[in-house]
Amino acid sequence: MQRATRLKRELQMLSTEPPPGITCWQTEERIDDLQAQIVGGNGTPYEGGLFSLEIKVPERYPFEPPKIRFLTPIYHPNIDNSGRICLDALKLPPKGAWRPSLNISTILTSIQLLMAEPNPDDPLMADISSEFKYHKQQFLEKARKWTQEHAVQKNTGVLDNKENTPNQRAVSRKREAISMQQDADDAAKKTCM
Amino acid sequence: RGYEHIVKQVNHTCTLLLEVGLKSRPECRSIPPPQYYSQLISEMETLGWDKLLFIDTEFQTLRLKAEDSSGRQHILTVKLKPKHPAEAPECSADLPLPLDFTWTPQSTLDQLHSQFLLVLESLSDFWNILDEIDSQTWILEPEKPSRSDTTRRIAIGNNVSIKVEVDPRHPKMLPECCLLGAEHVVTPLRNKLNANMHMWNPDSSVLHNLRDVLEIEFPSPATHEKSSFSVECGICYSYRLEAAIPDQVCNDPRCGQPFHQACLYEWLRALPSSRQSFNIVFGECPYCSKVRHKI
Repeated sequence: MQRATRLKRELQMLSTEPPPGITCWQTEERIDDLQAQIVGGNGTPYEGGLFSLEIKVPERYPFEPPKIRFLTPIYHPNIDNSGRICLDALKLPPKGAWRPSLNISTILTSIQLLMAEPNPDDPLMADISSEFKYHKQQFLEKARKWTQEHAVQKNTGVLDNKENTPNQRAVSRKREAISMQQDADDAAKKTCM
Repeated sequence: RGYEHIVKQVNHTCTLLLEVGLKSRPECRSIPPPQYYSQLISEMETLGWDKLLFIDTEFQTLRLKAEDSSGRQHILTVKLKPKHPAEAPECSADLPLPLDFTWTPQSTLDQLHSQFLLVLESLSDFWNILDEIDSQTWILEPEKPSRSDTTRRIAIGNNVSIKVEVDPRHPKMLPECCLLGAEHVVTPLRNKLNANMHMWNPDSSVLHNLRDVLEIEFPSPATHEKSSFSVECGICYSYRLEAAIPDQVCNDPRCGQPFHQACLYEWLRALPSSRQSFNIVFGECPYCSKVRHKI
């Protein structure tokens, strides 16, 4: 009951006063299915990239947090290969810190902050996390490389519009491929779930 | 004159009714005899056709208008029984008290209307008092007060309001009052109300008395925008949730965030950090994390 009125207001605010570097919109006419984009922050290895996210709004929202996942592959200690994000605000208490005073806009801002400042002590990707801690240069290079490969819009000119969709599909397939390949050894390493 | 078409309609209906009556017996029983219609016309003539606002196609339900001495318009709905005037008609109106008319088989619509005017006069003070409140303060509830509504929730400030229930029989006496809002704002007001209650002057209006007793000025439409009092719920982001408005307020003076009772309960009940004793839930404000309670 509260979900509809609240989302209506949130979408209105997101369209009139979006947080810096963030866009969020409704996909088709479904109120529970949103899409967002976060611009990679300056001075981070994600600079120059545009990261797409998928937001599923549960029936009991805002009493339950939205389910948010990266669609664009991202090399980050707290984001796994299928795009899942380890952020306490995305989980209900007592494990998490979701509360109805947060909203989609503030959550997206927290994700933007998490991108700039990973939290290696609560890692989802143990390998990336230890790399972030002990081989920072190597981490930064890889993260930048992933950004260039998956998150940079290649504006090639006239045909751009037509190419956009297949491009995204290719990216998505690629991500799934990486994810399948690594899924097996990931399971044991995850501490943040 | 305007009633001529109604007379024609009556005559036409009589013929029609007789035809219908001959064709189907069961329906025939509920149809009043022809005298019913002639009686109705003569009663309306005595009362004055200008009082008739509406009549249904069965000529059984009438709406009569009446104006009280303060110029307020009222409507009396009369449902005549098929055995009219032997049987008393059913009457209803938008009043705070139940209608109680005396009716004898000799009574007429004109007498009924006069009785209604007397009832309106007896409620004149009550409506004067509420009209003054409605025109000079911001009413949060009911959204559109009707003539039968006896309560008003009057805005005092941001998330602070007083709910008063005026007794239609004794409208000038101290009404039942309930102060709503965060404790630190409401407590001093409640203390003033209790300390100054003896100053209540039945010769003055309720609004003036409330001002004097609470020692406040109510924000009025002349000085304030309503949006400054209709702060939305921090959970569902709306002001009205079905009919409810946010009436739970965080008790921390620095927070003061309002919530609908239903929204706050829905959040707190699922939290392991909340505890419930009887019908009171204690839990943290979702905004400032200070422990607050909810009834």
